[in-house]
Amino acid sequence: MALLEIRKLEKVYTARFSSQKTTALANIDFSVEGGQFVAIMGESGSGKTTLLNIISTLDDATSGEVYLGGKPLSSIRDKEMSAFRRSTLGFVFQDFNLLDNFSIRDNILLPLVLSRTPVDELEKRLLPIAENLGIADLLDKYPYEVSGGQKQRTAVARALITEPKLILADEPTGALDSKSSRNLMETLKDINSQGQTILMVTHSVRAASFADRVLFIRDGAVYHEIYRGAESPDDFTDRISQSLTVLSGGGGRRE
Amino acid sequence: MNSRFFSSLALRNIQANRQLYIPYVLASVAVIAMFHLMASLLTNEFVRTRAASLTMMFEFGTVVIAIFAFIFILYTNSFLIKRRKKEIGLYGILGLEKRHVAKVLLFEMLYTGLVSLGAGMLTGFVFGRLFFLLLNYMMNLPVQLDYSTTGVTALMTAGLSVSVFLLAFLYNISQFTFAKPVKLLKGSNEGEREPKGSVVLFVLSLAFLAAGYGISLSMDDPLSALTYFFTAVLAVIIGTYLLFVSGSIFILKALKRNSRFYYRPAAFISVSGMLYRMKQNAVGLANICILSTMVMITVSTTMTVFVGTEEILENQLPYENNWTVYGAELTPEELTESFMSFQDRVRETAAEMGLEVTGSEAYRFQSFAGEISGGQFEPRRDIRGSGDLPLFLQVIPVADYNRLIGASVSLAPDEALFYHSDESFSAEELTFGGTTYRLSPADPASVTEDSQGITETAMLVVPDLLHIRRISEAYYADVEHEVMAGIDAHVAWNTDGTQEEKKAYAEAVESLKAGYPTSNYRSRIAVTEEWYSMNGGFLFLGVFLGLLFTIGTVLITYFKQVSEGYDDRGKFQIMQKVGLDRDMIRDSTRSQLVWMFLLPIAVAVIHVLFAYPIVRKMLLLFGITSDRTWLLSFATVVVAFSVIYFMIYRMTSKVYYGIVR
Repeated sequence: MALLEIRKLEKVYTARFSSQKTTALANIDFSVEGGQFVAIMGESGSGKTTLLNIISTLDDATSGEVYLGGKPLSSIRDKEMSAFRRSTLGFVFQDFNLLDNFSIRDNILLPLVLSRTPVDELEKRLLPIAENLGIADLLDKYPYEVSGGQKQRTAVARALITEPKLILADEPTGALDSKSSRNLMETLKDINSQGQTILMVTHSVRAASFADRVLFIRDGAVYHEIYRGAESPDDFTDRISQSLTVLSGGGGRRE
Repeated sequence: MNSRFFSSLALRNIQANRQLYIPYVLASVAVIAMFHLMASLLTNEFVRTRAASLTMMFEFGTVVIAIFAFIFILYTNSFLIKRRKKEIGLYGILGLEKRHVAKVLLFEMLYTGLVSLGAGMLTGFVFGRLFFLLLNYMMNLPVQLDYSTTGVTALMTAGLSVSVFLLAFLYNISQFTFAKPVKLLKGSNEGEREPKGSVVLFVLSLAFLAAGYGISLSMDDPLSALTYFFTAVLAVIIGTYLLFVSGSIFILKALKRNSRFYYRPAAFISVSGMLYRMKQNAVGLANICILSTMVMITVSTTMTVFVGTEEILENQLPYENNWTVYGAELTPEELTESFMSFQDRVRETAAEMGLEVTGSEAYRFQSFAGEISGGQFEPRRDIRGSGDLPLFLQVIPVADYNRLIGASVSLAPDEALFYHSDESFSAEELTFGGTTYRLSPADPASVTEDSQGITETAMLVVPDLLHIRRISEAYYADVEHEVMAGIDAHVAWNTDGTQEEKKAYAEAVESLKAGYPTSNYRSRIAVTEEWYSMNGGFLFLGVFLGLLFTIGTVLITYFKQVSEGYDDRGKFQIMQKVGLDRDMIRDSTRSQLVWMFLLPIAVAVIHVLFAYPIVRKMLLLFGITSDRTWLLSFATVVVAFSVIYFMIYRMTSKVYYGIVR
């Protein structure tokens, strides 16, 4: 069974004082196997963020269902939602979402502390991850004292530390320069090769080229999908670009 | 670019930052209103005319509030401008020159300053008017206090506001003139750093507190207490700020180092948040602590004066009506005639007015000072010899003794009843005035003079007035240069009826006095009224100030919670994304309880305890000497204020929770 299954997902927004409806997601249907690195691409307004929010349990679907590890998300009670989010999902945001009142160390430890993890366990989990991400020297600094790339690697560390089933990354390179972006994507690729499943939403062709599989979304539906076979990164980049050009050209073919 | 551009830019900035500005302006309004009220009390009729020292006290009070206003507004401003560093740095990057930025800041300060000043004065005026009316109505003192305010008050308030806001403006300018725009862009995210030399600050704070406490402990008389009170208050205020700034940071850092404590959800969130803005937090707590101290001292002192006065009156006049006839120039027969007829007249008068006498005591007596030695009562010979007071012996006839306790004792000419307050004399016979009496114990219930443990008293019950006469003659024959006193009579009684009826009755009795030339009549109502018309204004002002400071505490706690709520909102939203649930938010706001609630109150209570010696000296001016009264008032006030503050805390933390949720 796939780790993440999305079945006939629909999301319709209704304006508060009118009957006008906006369809954000129309019949999304796909699944992600454990250990995959999936990128979702699409233009602004295509529904990628809505999709990510529903998977992150931050938003509800109008119809359809999301199964994580076989468990439907709609079956989780409100009370357990935060704990579920903490233990099962890891988040990496475009604007890092680090807290200035915590040191880098405490930012990474935050989800574990919220889960009331014993103190001895904290350090044991923290060190290998920090080493792995190359931020072990920064642990006692504060977010406003480090660079953007370092902040984003801190955020990745915070996502990883709970050993989540799935990491959800929302435009993780959006606020980074190209060198830091490359660096971060290599880190994510590296994590993925250690078995971590990652679902990433991105605009960037270069970022998407690090994934095994790219889904293209347009007007709230999966429009196209490509897999990286044995191609070199550059070839895969070209293929993603081509797909984007063709598909955004208004080719009009819908599935 | 003309002024209108800067002016409208300034307005737009304030509007865009209204989350910061609304609490700031509200708090400024509260502080200015407080100052305005305090300053307007200086022109108050009662304050100006009652006593020179009272004017002085209120001048001190006004200066204290002014200092508080300075610290409060300047500090609040510095936190506010820090949060806007990014925005203002952006102006520099977008090409506004420094003098342009200064102009915008000037207009912003002008607007906030004018609004705060105008609203503050108005609030002060309305509050003053309203509460004077209300308190006059509720306390119903014989004197009415009028709220008055003059141009001078307005000028003082305006002067204070202008100088505070001007200083704030200069501070803001200095922040931007000496900083690079890039640094400014990052400014608002940076956590506050620990102040340099916090150990030195801590030592200094202890020194200031010790100085303040020391003054309080070392005062000898009421007048120097009044003079130095202000210095002590000032030292304690400075000490409190320093203590909170150095001490709270020290405690927080220690908590953070204790990882078993720190790495738990509630502590993790609240301790890191408080450390992030450690100075703001410390100053906020110090503000609350100082205002709480002011509330507790004014209210407990006022209560002590009130309760103490009632007690003094109660002790001095155990009955509502007290009549004494001095018998030095009367024969025993004349005295007895007055004594009897007056009691009849009292009852008749009461009956005429439809009242009933509900309790009374009446007796004839003569008091002697001396000592008992060798079974004999005699005047003390060596008055200079010993420091202690003589024994006061009250002699009353057995007829009056019987009436007092409803007994029917009869005494043979050589018999007497005897009571001694410390029972150190227990012989069976006592010789006094040439007669040796065989003694039996007197019922203590008949003892009318309350010794209050101050002096030794004794009572001798003899067969009749002639015995007293004889004793007196013998006693005074022994004492040189002493005017012979006579047998006096005392009648004291209560009546039923309402306060008005009792008052009318007291006036009727007063007019009876004409028939008894050597007598004196005192009614408790008249004495109380006289006291309150002299000193009621103090109570009024005490209640008023207590109220004022309580409202100040409410607003400042509210300000602290709201401004921190807006500060923390983003933080909580991020944490919710990574899995913080609402229960934990509630937990973490609750875990500040100890901090926000207990710390300021505990320090305030210590302040008040140390203030007691100096306050006690000042209370002597009101004739209050009882420590017990003060302790009781103080305990009541501490408990009551803690409850009130707890409610304030709960309400404001709900506001906080509502903002961050």
